[in-house]
Amino acid sequence: MSGNVGQERDLAALMRAAQAGDRRAYSALLFALLPLLREAVRHRFPFLQPHDIDDLVQDVLLSLHASRATYDPNRAFLPWLGAIARNRMADGARRYARRAAHEVATEQPLETFPADAANSSATGYGDTQALGQAMAALSPGQRQAIELMKLQEMSLKEAAAATGMTIGALKVSVHRAMAALRKALASRD
Amino acid sequence: MDTNELIARLTADLEPVRPLRPPWARAGLWLALALPCVAALVWGKLNVDASLVASDVRFLVEEAATLATALTAAYAAFASAVPGFDRRLLMLPLASLSLWLASVGHGCLQDWIRLGAEGLAIRPDWDCLLLATLIGVVPAAAMIAMLRAAPSLRPRATLALAALAVAALANFGLQFAHVRDASIMVLTWHLGAAAVFAALGGWLGERVLAQPDRLPAR
Repeated sequence: MSGNVGQERDLAALMRAAQAGDRRAYSALLFALLPLLREAVRHRFPFLQPHDIDDLVQDVLLSLHASRATYDPNRAFLPWLGAIARNRMADGARRYARRAAHEVATEQPLETFPADAANSSATGYGDTQALGQAMAALSPGQRQAIELMKLQEMSLKEAAAATGMTIGALKVSVHRAMAALRKALASRD
Repeated sequence: MDTNELIARLTADLEPVRPLRPPWARAGLWLALALPCVAALVWGKLNVDASLVASDVRFLVEEAATLATALTAAYAAFASAVPGFDRRLLMLPLASLSLWLASVGHGCLQDWIRLGAEGLAIRPDWDCLLLATLIGVVPAAAMIAMLRAAPSLRPRATLALAALAVAALANFGLQFAHVRDASIMVLTWHLGAAAVFAALGGWLGERVLAQPDRLPAR
């Protein structure tokens, strides 16, 4: 990550103010960094979609926030930020490689199962009223977890950020909610 | 989450922070906190003849190497948590650690020449391990508390170095507290324990000092 001398000086001044607790300077700093970080991520991963680029940029911003006490006001700002960005991009690359290693792109497979009941051509659950009632019977936390992760299709990370819950707690909520829904709907069949 | 919203949340969460002191100052502060606690625990169990210590070159070399390992490993641990640190710093404790290892290895060789196979017999020494653990508690707690001021970009390396620093400092104190053992015992129980602690630190690193993947709790 590189920048000209004036930009470096301005960003360092904003960071110093942010360390002192100046929220306006911090907001200005983070918005000023957005195009730099997006460009750095795009340069490193030219194949990523915009929302994936933003995911990585957000990782860098979260790390910057958590590590802001490690910035030495007497030193240059951009190399410090660059080290954080490189580290989080390396994390992103590892995550991407892991995902690629476990996923195979295929055409929509034709599904047949031994049990006739499973060979349904329906695309969704038929009894929406029953499903609505079963959803209403869930605890508020479980309902919110299902809404975010199954209906809005958020990732665990996004849902954790939206609710403030930990990823572990979310996994437990979704698991319990799905078990409760299955039980409630099975008892009607 | 939308990036603009994330920035709004981070801005709302902003509290003033004092920039961390340079790594050498933090390592010095840690030593200044930990060393008196080690001394206090060892004081009642002093088992060193002062008149002999001055002439025991191997004892002096080992103690100097152990203390240097503690200090350099602590410095490297604190430095490794600062984004943009020089990676060569991770190797800083190697020189003193090698000297420590070489001195103990030399002792093992001498014991073998002097006593034969008996000189290399390994016996369990639970009292020593218990005292070493007690000596290490306060330095370890102080180290973790200081490191948790910021997440590390290399949490495994940071905590492995921190564990090495704590183990080395505990060994430094321990050498004053018990009868001069055969070198093979020191190699097994002191350096072995240091290696186990460092490995454990590396394993726990990502749990204790990992980068955040969500907003801080309010």
